[in-house]
Amino acid sequence: MTKMWKVALLMVVASFFLGLPGAFAGKLDDIKARGTLIAGVKDSQPPFGYVDENTKQLVGFEPELCAALAAKLGVKLELKPVTSATRIPMLEQGGIDLIAATMTHKIEREEKIDFSITYFPAAQKLLVKKDSGIKSVADLAGKKVGSAKGSTSEQNVKKAQPACDVVSFETYPEAFLAMKQGKVVAVTTDAPILLGIRNSDENPDNFAIVGEDIAAEPYGIGLPENDSDFRDFVNVTLMEMWKSGEYQKLYDKWFGEKTKFYIPLTWQMEVWP
Amino acid sequence: MNYKFNWALIFSGEYGRWFIDGLSVTLQLSGLSIILALFLGTLLTTMRISRVKPLVWLSVGYIEFFRNTPLVVQIFFWYFGSDPLLPEFFKEWLYRQNIEFATGVIALSTYTAAFIAEELRSGILSIPKTQLEASRATGLTFLQAMGYVILPQAFRIIIPPLISQFLNLIKNSSLAMTIGVMELTYMARQVEAHTFHGFEAFTVSTLMYLSLSLLVSLAINQYNKRCLHVRSR
Repeated sequence: MTKMWKVALLMVVASFFLGLPGAFAGKLDDIKARGTLIAGVKDSQPPFGYVDENTKQLVGFEPELCAALAAKLGVKLELKPVTSATRIPMLEQGGIDLIAATMTHKIEREEKIDFSITYFPAAQKLLVKKDSGIKSVADLAGKKVGSAKGSTSEQNVKKAQPACDVVSFETYPEAFLAMKQGKVVAVTTDAPILLGIRNSDENPDNFAIVGEDIAAEPYGIGLPENDSDFRDFVNVTLMEMWKSGEYQKLYDKWFGEKTKFYIPLTWQMEVWP
Repeated sequence: MNYKFNWALIFSGEYGRWFIDGLSVTLQLSGLSIILALFLGTLLTTMRISRVKPLVWLSVGYIEFFRNTPLVVQIFFWYFGSDPLLPEFFKEWLYRQNIEFATGVIALSTYTAAFIAEELRSGILSIPKTQLEASRATGLTFLQAMGYVILPQAFRIIIPPLISQFLNLIKNSSLAMTIGVMELTYMARQVEAHTFHGFEAFTVSTLMYLSLSLLVSLAINQYNKRCLHVRSR
């Protein structure tokens, strides 16, 4: 019996030491040694990250942002689709090196992972029928508003308009269907996502995105906790892209005037001297 | 494994209240649905054994249809699919009400009624046919014979499987979250989304479902033993 205990103890100690090297070597060294940067992106959120109908490849604003990071490191890029529910656990377990998946930088999330500086300043708005007469959050009093589960949108709208009822669905397309049927009067979430839903309809002109900014939803790149070398690299690369105009070019490609997702570029990226 | 358990967080601030709110909606949803399902189930069984052919067909069709399609599909059908069938003026009024909760009750009770009907039928079949004939011979109508003689006995016989149906219904009520009813599972997911402590959130909801189910089956069993004086078989 005592012998078995010793063996067991030895195995536990050995497993600690086996775990150590990986934990202490920086992510940057891991990526360079591997020769690939593995990024978690959305696969059904045009234009941020989605599967192209013709090429069946993952494309979008965020995959191209990751491609720029990989190019800077001189490594290949591998994209893995993630959802809002899986992205943080996948990063924690090391399945992906970073998250670029419409993720709002929230203080609560800092407990588990780190964030880069903001690379997209989304804001929460309302999607309504054009003839609904709803112009702002104030018009929502006593009405039902649709949203999706697990998002901050429902809490934010409840704070902005305590007199409305929030109905949360599994996905945004379901919330949109409920709005079309008249079960809810508006769908609320980040404006770029609302644009995507609106454009998916046969008659996008029947719907409008209205209202003041209900809440700021700054998107940041999710990074492994406590790896400041890696975080510095990502932050500096983003700022260099902004200064060189590479970011603006990328933005114009996906959100410019000629696209279906036109959102004027009115903000300034945080640039450190 | 670098997961840090944090049980205090789950009960702190508004999260504790969310769980209570969710439990309360689950109770209302299940309670209402159980009552409706019992009535509807009894009606279906009565139709089934009535020997009036169209009623029998209607009942058999209903039972087979509702037993053999997934509940979540039925819920989506009631909620999203029913829209084109409703008249415009009625829709406007209806959708301003708590249509999500009402749809949940309709879906759960119509689904469970099909199962209850089948169990009640087997309960009735276990009562000797001569009892019905004897009661008819004393001058009772078919419905009176059913109501005073057959059904009271049948219900006592099927109490154990009926408890299973009630427990299934309580657990099935969690599917109502797919159409935005803020019941217990919905709230547990909500807490998970806000705290990223899924293990704690779903442990709490699991324990709540478990205690609720155990309480229900204990209560019915006690009622059965104490009040109906049925010897255990």
